[in-house]
Amino acid sequence: MAGSLKIALIGNPNTGKTSVFNHLTGLNQQVGNYPGITVERKTGSCKLPGIVKGNIIDLPGTYSLNASSMDENVVIELLLNKTDKDYPDVAVVVTDVENLKRNLLLFTQIKDLEIPTILAINMADRMDKKGISLDIPYLESRLNTKIALISSRKGTGIADLKELIVNYKSLSTEPCLHASSIDPDYFNKLRKAFPNELLYKLWLLISQDANFGLSHKTELMGTSFTKTRADLKRLQQKETIKRYQFINDVLKVGQVIDTSKAKDLRARLDRVLTHKIFGYVIFLGILMLIFQSIFSWSELPMGLIEEGTAWLSNFVLGNMAPGKLSDLLANGVIAGIGGVVIFIPQIAFLFLFISLLEESGYMSRVVFLMDRLMKPFGLSGKSVVPLISGTACAIPAIMAARNIENWRERLITILVTPFTTCSARLPVYIILISLIIPETKLAGIFSLQGLTLMALYLLGFLGAILSAWILNKILDAKHKSFFVAEMPNYKLPLLKNVGLNVLEKTKAFVYGAGKIILALSIIIWFLGSHGPGDNFSNAEEIVKGQQRPLNPEELDDAVAAYQLEHSYIGIMGKTIEPVIRPLGYDWKIGVAIVSSFAAREVFVGTLATIYNIGSTDNEVTIRERMDSEIDPITGKKVFNFATGISLLLFYAFAMQCISTLAITKKETNSWKWPLIQLFGMSAFAYVVSLIAYQLLK
Amino acid sequence: MDIQSIIAYILVAGAAAFLVKKIFFKKKKKKDCGDCGCN
Repeated sequence: MAGSLKIALIGNPNTGKTSVFNHLTGLNQQVGNYPGITVERKTGSCKLPGIVKGNIIDLPGTYSLNASSMDENVVIELLLNKTDKDYPDVAVVVTDVENLKRNLLLFTQIKDLEIPTILAINMADRMDKKGISLDIPYLESRLNTKIALISSRKGTGIADLKELIVNYKSLSTEPCLHASSIDPDYFNKLRKAFPNELLYKLWLLISQDANFGLSHKTELMGTSFTKTRADLKRLQQKETIKRYQFINDVLKVGQVIDTSKAKDLRARLDRVLTHKIFGYVIFLGILMLIFQSIFSWSELPMGLIEEGTAWLSNFVLGNMAPGKLSDLLANGVIAGIGGVVIFIPQIAFLFLFISLLEESGYMSRVVFLMDRLMKPFGLSGKSVVPLISGTACAIPAIMAARNIENWRERLITILVTPFTTCSARLPVYIILISLIIPETKLAGIFSLQGLTLMALYLLGFLGAILSAWILNKILDAKHKSFFVAEMPNYKLPLLKNVGLNVLEKTKAFVYGAGKIILALSIIIWFLGSHGPGDNFSNAEEIVKGQQRPLNPEELDDAVAAYQLEHSYIGIMGKTIEPVIRPLGYDWKIGVAIVSSFAAREVFVGTLATIYNIGSTDNEVTIRERMDSEIDPITGKKVFNFATGISLLLFYAFAMQCISTLAITKKETNSWKWPLIQLFGMSAFAYVVSLIAYQLLK
Repeated sequence: MDIQSIIAYILVAGAAAFLVKKIFFKKKKKKDCGDCGCN
């Protein structure tokens, strides 16, 4: 026998490395553990051309030489220690033809250790199906290596690989990336201190957490070459970026992926799901299905939460002595917490669907599909997720903008998302539509009220798109961003991942915005239940003196309404009346607008209290009362067509949500943007409502 | 002033202090963090 070669099989997990090992070694395998640790060690022998024996060690799968686990330490420890009895004569890096870019990171690192390295591109039999073609001579020349195209599934290319292994001495050991380019000053000093050592090897010794039992590590740790963990991390990131720049550069010419030629199931699905027409139709269908489910599935838990909150309020009022604290707990704290908790079912369901779409790989296709529609308005394809999520609630929607890499596009998305019609607008829309739009049907099928509601949803989306276009002009981009995203394979979502995602997002909503909503509810309670002067404190006597004899319930309601009128929040409503009069609103609507600044749906409840009804959950009674309300100044109905349309437009565009502002502050880390959002949206809403009222009155 | 009122006003003051703190006292930015809004 001419001699024996030590061969290391290295590669990312799931590249078919072990199958290649099995092809090379057949039944000549031994399985054991690495000395001292329980990581599995597989070795085997094979006969190579020219009566050469190959001793092959199948190293644990690793993504890079930046060790983060015991398995990965094993790989680095062997490759850094030339005195190890298994130190390879030649390394075979097994890669997957479908994930070449990611797999080449490890290849370039091993190459830089100046070990003769062969690149085995596995699963080559799938190239045709995937529409992948490779320029092998070009790749060999740029990567300074020899390439074997193999298929461990079909057993092809193994003979070529064996031939390359035998001729390993002809392989170039020229590195792919010169280590000194990571940080020239630092590496030059290192080179001067250790002139006989390989620079990249020294860098790996310095940058890894593990000791590897090597003497150099101790030597280096005692020198001035050690850096802080943060600096090491920064240099490691710089190294990774430089490697990927090199890999991208190589693959730009050496690899062509033409998905139109691909023939596998994924490619066929992609062609339909990202089709110029069918892609959008399917997406709309899925959206309709999701929102239908969100609203119908949330109905029951939301109803239970609402009942639970009401029960708790009554329980507190019934079991505590009457006083400020019981009133604050029942009408401030519990109402405030209830206002947060009520949205949990919708948020959880929304994130459940988003997670399922993301995990299955479909969301990447949607983002790709929408990118061409959104780009002219300064939005990213990824903006579609927050804009869609905004129909349930703007808070998780703004949080969903986190996956937009470009800060400018993310900012525009955050700023325009509150235009989307959220579920908190629904109670306001429903009651106003029922007051001003007749219950007639168009062509005997389409309900006019239903069509008005749909038009308001479309109006919200148009508002978002239009303001994005304006912001795009104002926040002029210095450089255009390009949409680059890897299309992942389709897969069945992992329930654990989905569950954790839903839990994390829901918790973030409750603990993040919840605290602010709660604090604000307490303040609003204070402003609504306190007032200056005798008008507030002697409300009961004044009401008794002014009105005809009332039964106790009517008297309570009348006193509550009088107190509210003279409370701090009532005074605020009266103060803003001159400003809102041109929109067709009286002070009572003003108070409802001010109080619904905490949450839009508070509008209905506040009006119910103001209109002296007592029960806030009986919409028919509220509607009847609102319908019969006469403006003492104009002598007309308060909720006439002009005022109604003006209010609908105001709620469609105004930034009436303190928690959305809070989340915008949290996400942008500045008060500047929520303030721009508040004043920009409110000014726009004011102008539109003013025009509408003045034209229609 | 009864005990209920005292506790209620303490809670109101706490809520006001919390909102003031949220509005006027920004968290310190992490070192080396750009203006990406991530923190």
